[in-house]
Amino acid sequence: MPIAAAPALLLIAIAGWEVCAARRDATAVPAADGPAWRAAAAEVRAGFRPGDLIVFAPGWIDPVGRMQLGDLIPIEVAARMDAARYGRIWEIAIRGARSPDTAGLAPAGSEDRGGVVVRRYQRDPAVVVADVVERLATATSDGPRPTLELAEVGFSPHRCLQVIPAPGVQVRIAFPQLPLGRELVGYVGIADVFTRRDVRSPGRLDVEIAGRIAASATAGVDDGWVRFAAQTAPGPADVAFVVRATDPGRRICFAAEARR
Amino acid sequence: MSPGAGIGAGIGAGSGPGRAAKLAGWALAAATAILVVVNQQGVGIARDEVVYMQAGERYAAWWIGLVSFRHGISRASVTAAFGGPGATDNNREHPPVMKTLFGLSARLVHGGLGVDEVTALRLPSAILHGALVLWVYGMVLELWGAAAAVIAAVLLALLPRALFHAGLACFDAPSMALWFAAVRGYWRGLDGRRWPWQAGVAWGLALGTKHTALVLPFALGAHYLALGAIAWRGTAPELRGASRAARVRAFARTVIGHRWRVIASLAVLGPLTLYLVWPWLWFDPVHHVRDWLAFHLGHVHYNYEYLGRNWNAPPFPWHVALLTTLVTVPASTLAAAVVGAVVWIAGRTRHARAPALLLALSAAASIGPFLLGTTPIFGAEKHWMPALPTICIAAAVGAVWAGRAAAGAIQRATARRVPEPGAIAAIAGCIALAAAVETRIAEPYALTWYSALAGGAPGGADLGMNRQFWGVAMRGALPRLAAQGGARPGGPTYVYTHDASPAWGIYQREGLIPRTLLDAGWEQAGIDRSDLAVVIHELHFNRHDYLIWKAYGTVRPIDVVTSDGVPIVSLYRRPPR
Repeated sequence: MPIAAAPALLLIAIAGWEVCAARRDATAVPAADGPAWRAAAAEVRAGFRPGDLIVFAPGWIDPVGRMQLGDLIPIEVAARMDAARYGRIWEIAIRGARSPDTAGLAPAGSEDRGGVVVRRYQRDPAVVVADVVERLATATSDGPRPTLELAEVGFSPHRCLQVIPAPGVQVRIAFPQLPLGRELVGYVGIADVFTRRDVRSPGRLDVEIAGRIAASATAGVDDGWVRFAAQTAPGPADVAFVVRATDPGRRICFAAEARR
Repeated sequence: MSPGAGIGAGIGAGSGPGRAAKLAGWALAAATAILVVVNQQGVGIARDEVVYMQAGERYAAWWIGLVSFRHGISRASVTAAFGGPGATDNNREHPPVMKTLFGLSARLVHGGLGVDEVTALRLPSAILHGALVLWVYGMVLELWGAAAAVIAAVLLALLPRALFHAGLACFDAPSMALWFAAVRGYWRGLDGRRWPWQAGVAWGLALGTKHTALVLPFALGAHYLALGAIAWRGTAPELRGASRAARVRAFARTVIGHRWRVIASLAVLGPLTLYLVWPWLWFDPVHHVRDWLAFHLGHVHYNYEYLGRNWNAPPFPWHVALLTTLVTVPASTLAAAVVGAVVWIAGRTRHARAPALLLALSAAASIGPFLLGTTPIFGAEKHWMPALPTICIAAAVGAVWAGRAAAGAIQRATARRVPEPGAIAAIAGCIALAAAVETRIAEPYALTWYSALAGGAPGGADLGMNRQFWGVAMRGALPRLAAQGGARPGGPTYVYTHDASPAWGIYQREGLIPRTLLDAGWEQAGIDRSDLAVVIHELHFNRHDYLIWKAYGTVRPIDVVTSDGVPIVSLYRRPPR
């Protein structure tokens, strides 16, 4: 075929590919209430135990997953700090996706139900000695008192303690004699997409254990849920979370767990 | 055949178009307008559309009152209909041309002819989209022949996102149409006619539709100066003048004054048209124009998801407009446009008025501001839609050239006659088929759709591209909501509708939801009052999910509306209290 015909053939080939690809793409995702999702949900229900974590991948399919299995997902689990405390994780995935919550784990079982894959993971969970979110009643504050919120931080749900410090004035939230294990792990972020848009400065959090800074984190408006951690000596200790911001209206949310 | 050869001598190019060719343009325009009208019936009512509809009805009432002598022109009456002290009073931040047409259409087509209210309000946009097809067809017919004209018109009609926007009572598709009308008017004015009024009037109407037309003079000005520079380069040295002063005068006459009437048309008739169609400018015009421009120069940055990140503050990535265009125009159309661009570049001096340069500058002016990183990106392609006619025209030129080249090559290789029209039709048919398939798949949720290049709607979701905006997907949830109508037996059921709240009354008037389903109101108070709740999925609307979880005590929606498998609306029902 002469080279001068190549552009025409290329255009025809691209058009042919597009017709096929567009039609394939439009039907590539299993129907939200179709047999594949129902079979996958049935498999999870058959093996589910209280305390298991169910996650969906990719993240954008989460509404469909919650429609199928949301009754097995308490709000506290959906709005978890992280997945470390869960020993059994069910991952329901399409398009070969993986959830960040199963990163690095190898599935103990995997079944493809017509394009919806159910993977089960088993691991040794983190043992939580104390959860500051659950111990809000024991906390003291030298400024505004934190509130327990189900907040949007980084476009994800998180149960967290929210403080709105006055500009330039730090707020110290103290947990006297908090039981500690070998590690204190927490996260901090800025709640509410609209205040993140309108106020662009970061929030900062220091963790003091027995009066000394053990960990720090800065959460910028586009940073989402920022992890911090400190090695700790097992046993009770005075722990304080010191929060500050330079601008008004900064909704700083944090959560932390002392882990064995 | 080298690129650039052959295309100029298209079927019908070079001679005046025949009656059949002209009729074909009108037929394509009518078919496009009908396609838009039919398609919009499945498209939900956009949040901002409601504002424009309401404002349009006030504007239309004012004009009718004026021409029927029920009132005169007074500051009080103009302010009551078109303005007010607040920056968004009577939607005065947007000029009135399309809104006025929406309002007039509602009176005539809905009130007079009984067509449904939403279709009547959207009809002017649909007609203008048909007109755009006609204008594109006409320009291409004159320059590159009938085959290219038909292909350009068809590919323009089969742009999924443009078709979607053309079915809304909004400004974006009409702005594209009137922008192109101004480009075409300018182009025609360059032929030396005595009264090139079309350029100025069309630009004035474009300005009266959307502020983005303000950048069009950059394209037209650059083209005008380029033509002048080409003319100056071709001027014999002895004709440039003997003295330095004479050379300066000759230069100015050649480069700046070569078609001064077109420039005068734009400079005089453009602003004058804007002034005449916008009564709000009739009093305190400087102040009101300044307010108009200030509103858009300081426009809030709405949330927009792009490549997996929510953007609501500059600096934005420089490539937003380019990548978004790449995945929201059918790939086949784009590929043909690349061929067409090569043809243009290779044959750039073929036409004395450099039409390809003009079209390229038009696209560049439209898309250029979004490369700066500071221009709001939240509306995505709807803000740079005037670039689309250029892409479709280039695609048509590319398809015709490729068809001719293939026919010639096969003929030479096989010594058999291969009819050029057949080869062109085969290629154009394949490209149009691909565009039609993409369009069929995209509608009515075209904002969720991405081309095969991205992997369709699921591929767009994987890439973290914007899911939708304006709450239009609510339309797909209405039958499911209606089926839940008895959530609270014996009385009205309140629905938390968030972004669809402004459209709720229209949905009820159109009979799409029972009148027992009431809008619950905004935010937490609305959720607390509601028994049903919807979340129209956008990344920054996840917050609505969490508010509902907290109030309803469950994370489980009872239904999820999807487009090609991608969630676009979740529907929650409050468990028994």
